[in-house]
Amino acid sequence: MATRASSPGIGSPVPVTTRAATESGDLGAPLYIAWQVTNECNLACLHCIEESGPGKAFHDELGDEQVFSVLAQALDLEVPYLSFSGGEPMVHPRFFDMVAYVCGRNGQLKIETNGHYLEPENCARLKQLGVKAVQVSLDGATRETFNRMRVRGDFDRTVEGVRNLHVAGVPIEINFSPTHFNVHEVAAAVDLAAELGAYSFYTGRTMYTGNAVKTWPKLAPSEEQYDAFFEALHRKTEEYRGRMRVHFHEIGLLEELRYRLRHPAALLIVLPNGLVKLINALPFVCGDLRRQTLGEIWARFQLAWQDPRVAKFVEDLAEDPRKTAALHQWVYL
Amino acid sequence: MKLAKHVKFREEKFGSVLFETRSEKVYTLNPTATAVVREIQSGSDEGSIPARLKARFHDSGGAIEREAAAFLAELRQKGLVED
Repeated sequence: MATRASSPGIGSPVPVTTRAATESGDLGAPLYIAWQVTNECNLACLHCIEESGPGKAFHDELGDEQVFSVLAQALDLEVPYLSFSGGEPMVHPRFFDMVAYVCGRNGQLKIETNGHYLEPENCARLKQLGVKAVQVSLDGATRETFNRMRVRGDFDRTVEGVRNLHVAGVPIEINFSPTHFNVHEVAAAVDLAAELGAYSFYTGRTMYTGNAVKTWPKLAPSEEQYDAFFEALHRKTEEYRGRMRVHFHEIGLLEELRYRLRHPAALLIVLPNGLVKLINALPFVCGDLRRQTLGEIWARFQLAWQDPRVAKFVEDLAEDPRKTAALHQWVYL
Repeated sequence: MKLAKHVKFREEKFGSVLFETRSEKVYTLNPTATAVVREIQSGSDEGSIPARLKARFHDSGGAIEREAAAFLAELRQKGLVED
């Protein structure tokens, strides 16, 4: 009898990307699809890991029919959680139609945006459609640092956008990428996020890839700066406990990837052209939604992680951390 | 009683998963817990669920009944259900 289980009914809560999420008896589908819906962006940020920017849409991005087919597949498979990012997802011509489709089929959807299109009417629409949250990148607590990092971006417009979300009643998350010139503002950025009504604040080490490869000498925080950064985050975590969650990863990329090799996340990264990556921080592609179904890709996802080229790439990172510069030179498994 | 707004439920071969999407936490459920969530989703009265499972699975020793009651309390305590 199926219910003769003697163990407690519920397991320990675990983040979606941990062992329990993927090893508890072979999940039938991903738990999370992170979809970069376009590589086009209105900004050209110094640290952008996707090398997005004006005119940077891929020439082969999925068409409308393909986009909605993939969304339908995800929801048919009961994928509980999706995110739309980019590039800037809100510049996608069918953005609101895609949001309406996911939310209309009871999917939980997070939007990751630079916040420049969060006018009151758009925020009201996102609220009405029922998005789970909107995550806004706010890399700095001042106009000076934010505008330096987010080329073509505007701090005031972003803050105004977050305020519009709050007025509309949309749950808010704030994302912060540390650099040499903004890292000292992290405590103030956490305070600003709380003042703006965010319920979560996310940060971690900035990755050496994408645009950051070219700008690294101006961008990279020192280890001393990172020490102070994490110390401030620990302090702010306690200060805001029960009011706003402060999330951050202190461990480096290498440790994270070594863990993932043993415990792949139940997460698929979908690129604007339908290619599916194992994880953002690796160049490996495990499927192509233009030619395969989501179910077919998921069926071989765990196997793809076991490809020896993946483990070799991770171990080579120990010798040469700058190998992440090649994340956009996709390797097909 | 119903699953909280940000909680998603999906059945799996081993039982099921609950995904709390605000905190992005995943809970893996065994078959007993899965049966409890099915009852919640079908609109069963909270107080009647342990007894219903006891009867359905001929649980003469009462282990499933106790387990179901404890699980219901845990769901409340973790904020995974709401009225």
